[in-house]
Amino acid sequence: MRVGVLGIGKTPHKIQHEKSLRDLVVESGRAAMADAGVEPSDIQALYVGNVGSVGFNYENSTGLMSAHHLGVVPAGAVRVEAACGTGAWALHLGCVAILSGLYDTVMVLGAEKMNDLATVEATSIIAQAADSKEEYFSGLTFPSGVALTARKYMQTYGLTEEDLAHTSVKNHHYGARNPYAHLRFECTVEEVMRSAKVADPLKLYEVCPMTDASSALVLCREEILRDQADKPQVYVTATQMATGTWYAATDTLGDAYELLARPAQRAYDMAGITADDIDVAEIYNSFAIQEPLGIESLGFAPQGEGWKGAADGSTWIDGKVGVNLSGGLLCKGHPLGATGSTQAVDIVEQLRGTAPKDMQRPGASIGISACRGGPGAVGAVHVYQRLEG
Amino acid sequence: MTVSAIEFSRLGPPKLRLYAMRCTSCEVLSPWWEYHHCYACGGSEMVEQELAGTGELTNYTVVYYPPRDFLGQEPYVVGHITMDEGVLMPAPVVGVAPEDIQVGTRVKATLRRMKLGHEGDIYYSQKFVVDSEPATT
Repeated sequence: MRVGVLGIGKTPHKIQHEKSLRDLVVESGRAAMADAGVEPSDIQALYVGNVGSVGFNYENSTGLMSAHHLGVVPAGAVRVEAACGTGAWALHLGCVAILSGLYDTVMVLGAEKMNDLATVEATSIIAQAADSKEEYFSGLTFPSGVALTARKYMQTYGLTEEDLAHTSVKNHHYGARNPYAHLRFECTVEEVMRSAKVADPLKLYEVCPMTDASSALVLCREEILRDQADKPQVYVTATQMATGTWYAATDTLGDAYELLARPAQRAYDMAGITADDIDVAEIYNSFAIQEPLGIESLGFAPQGEGWKGAADGSTWIDGKVGVNLSGGLLCKGHPLGATGSTQAVDIVEQLRGTAPKDMQRPGASIGISACRGGPGAVGAVHVYQRLEG
Repeated sequence: MTVSAIEFSRLGPPKLRLYAMRCTSCEVLSPWWEYHHCYACGGSEMVEQELAGTGELTNYTVVYYPPRDFLGQEPYVVGHITMDEGVLMPAPVVGVAPEDIQVGTRVKATLRRMKLGHEGDIYYSQKFVVDSEPATT
């Protein structure tokens, strides 16, 4: 399969009190259309990833709101929701829409404005993405649910908190260089260890911030991009989705591995490549532990060893595979519905060779994005390739 | 399970039971919310099974940033308790300081105030405390 990436756009990822959800949508959507060289009337369908506007912003129908304010009328528009995998699901639907042959050009957009509410309210809304009626009766939150996974991982493989802290150090090294990132500072293992406890053993520098952002892609039939030789020839060459358990209580390390390993293998088969071919990867890491889990699922390291790359350099920019050279969610933040679409935009930048200085992996031609959510409930993997001629 | 004080007074103590769901196909026990579907084998017939209320703390976290309903209780411990019947229960562990908590500790269920609901109504449920009695064999 090949789906052309005609245009990309994104807003800065940060707290944006001066902008509304619709301002963010319009900013990224217009940027993507300008990059693609299309008008709103060229967009035949609009897929808007948004998790919680009904709670965060007291507005619903984000798909229809986006269509109206972007002028994508009368094309069909819909809001997509799949917890933290939302943006990736919007991308999946956009790809499927093109592959079906029904549409020539569609837009995929992710948007979330999380900072209209106090942290305690926002935390409660995020908790609703898991079973807030039943399992979270115990006082669990998303960070604490993933903290249980982190402790299980440490126990199983005999690791220390310092071992896992290297992941944050690597992400912050690149996040400090990303002008679009929310948290732009470097940190050391000692500083990660000293940062405030959030949900033991997770500490503040191992947890993503709540972020306001939007990002968008204009997708098209393969032939449309191929006929425009002056445009960067970047294509989505695999899109695969999966589900897993919705509960922390049944989310074993095996489940956490399979959640992304299954769609990753299908994606490699679909694209006709292997893990060894990947130059750059954006791997979901709203909490640091999820990066080594994703590295293992994508086949870059054996189970229990995914944390090593951040310590020994093999997942840095000049390592075997560049992982989260954007700074990951730990630095970009995790604007729920926009996270998956921003991962896609960041990989496309890498393959175009237009990522910011000190983040660009030289000669990157094959990339992958892996998004998870729920946190054990949604797995999403996309492969992207720069194809010449 | 969790019930409000209002429900508690109307329905009485029997509603506050500690139980798991047992799959009639594979006999695997699941947490009490799995009454539709067995995650282990895909079976769809689940029946209730009472739990003795004792188990071992096999994993835990300390919550420093609680959701709204638990405001004021932080920092608090949420444990994964492997009940003696084999099922995993997520529940708060109380009566022990977060820095003293240890995986492998024997715990037992106790009825405690759980949280305040949106209308200010008080909810009760099981929390776990350290079980100083030796396990019965």
